[in-house]
Amino acid sequence: MIDVRDVVVEYGKKAAAVRAVDGLSLRVAPGESLALIGPSGCGKSSLLFAMAGLIRPTAGTISVNGESLTRPRREIALILQNAGLLPWKTVWQNANLSLLLGREYPRVTAQAVLDELGLGEVKRRYPSELSEGMKRRVGVARALSTSPSVMLMDEPLASLDTLTKERIQDLFLRLWVRHAFALVLVTHDIEEAAFLGQRVAVLSDRPAQIKEIVENPAMGELNYRDTAAFADTVQRLRAGLER
Amino acid sequence: MAKPRAKRALAYVTDRVRDRSFAGRIAIYIGSLALLFGLWEVASLVILKVKGVEYLPNPVKAITEMQRLGPLLFRNFWTSAWRLVLAILIAFSTGYPLGLLIGQERWLDRFFSPIIYIVYPIPQVAFILLLFLVFGIGNPVKVAIVAIAIFFQLLVSARGAAKEIDPEHVTSVLSAGASRFQTYWHVVIPETLPSILTSLRVSVGLGMAFLYIAEISGSVSPGRGGLGAFIKASSFNTTQQAAGILAMALLGLVLYVIIDIIERVVCRWRYTARRST
Repeated sequence: MIDVRDVVVEYGKKAAAVRAVDGLSLRVAPGESLALIGPSGCGKSSLLFAMAGLIRPTAGTISVNGESLTRPRREIALILQNAGLLPWKTVWQNANLSLLLGREYPRVTAQAVLDELGLGEVKRRYPSELSEGMKRRVGVARALSTSPSVMLMDEPLASLDTLTKERIQDLFLRLWVRHAFALVLVTHDIEEAAFLGQRVAVLSDRPAQIKEIVENPAMGELNYRDTAAFADTVQRLRAGLER
Repeated sequence: MAKPRAKRALAYVTDRVRDRSFAGRIAIYIGSLALLFGLWEVASLVILKVKGVEYLPNPVKAITEMQRLGPLLFRNFWTSAWRLVLAILIAFSTGYPLGLLIGQERWLDRFFSPIIYIVYPIPQVAFILLLFLVFGIGNPVKVAIVAIAIFFQLLVSARGAAKEIDPEHVTSVLSAGASRFQTYWHVVIPETLPSILTSLRVSVGLGMAFLYIAEISGSVSPGRGGLGAFIKASSFNTTQQAAGILAMALLGLVLYVIIDIIERVVCRWRYTARRST
């Protein structure tokens, strides 16, 4: 359970401070998925980084499973825009970054995760030798390697071609169903939000506030994109963003 | 008739240059050396023709002279080599980490940048006399002069490289639970290594120049004063001088090759073929 209460995130010193997030509250239940959608630069990434324990909110509190969050935690995984892979580490080292950094968890899981994502064959390669889609999957493997209960994604599929994007969205959906983590997805892609979010929070321009929450209960199937409910959610999200 | 043949020869050369095999690379090396010696030969002939004196002996003479001088030249080569290598090691092990810290930690940057901006542009040669006066003309000072010059070079480029770190790489290790030290070890150092090794190559040339200046200052015995002293002591024997200069070039070449090898090992990820997947 993630509980975000009245969170304010500001950058810079007092007089010249820029407010990125403005008193925002939300809750994500275990195993639930929430998409945050909003215009570029609206502060949604700042909110996500605060939920990852990477930046401390100027005001308000964030707690995960009842404990207040002060720094990055093992049960919270973060997937970054360009997968955040380190070019000087192999696929295996990238996927097992937490292990390299001394956080303990079983190696077996790590190998299983690589196999599950079809990366077992390329684990000795460097990121520069992989296709874009594969790089994203290594990013996913890294996130899954610590068996997190919360998965945060920051525009994870930006700059991918449509087909690769949809294939990885399918993968996200399958993993969410199988591993039952709580998913918080930040995106500016309306269809991605509609495909992966049980609820979609539409954010305002900076500083980010929630304009409305669109319920999207029919999601969860791989063929959801072909349904009328999907089209309807997309419609509502577009209207929400334009409002 | 002649044209297609020239074209074919050119095609052969460009093919070899693109050739990435080991034999191909050796061939290129030999080819570029031949070009260099050819130009040298031409220059030597021109100078002889114009001046009527052999100020610049041709490459064959210089190499023969190197052989003749043998152990004497080698002793000087060795003296210069250890001075230069020691200076590089001292400068690298201090300038690189300090540059990274200044580039990464804002408060250090604020404090040190004015100092760097004031001291860096001063040609370090300006300090030579001061150093000689204070510490004498022994080995420590000669090494120190070279080390100081390289130190600033590496400090400034490490600082620049550390400022260019991709924030996503840092976020990535921080979210995986990295400590500050681990952020340096897993991101800052590997990401800055390629550009530091590039400036290390530049530093070899710079260090060589300073070493020469340091070695020709003070006593110059041709015995074991280093290549600089040897070259200066050979002022009136141009062939011997050319042999000394060639030995200096050889020293530089050895160091470049060593840096290349180090780069291939520590930056292995940059040399992987981009296989399609």
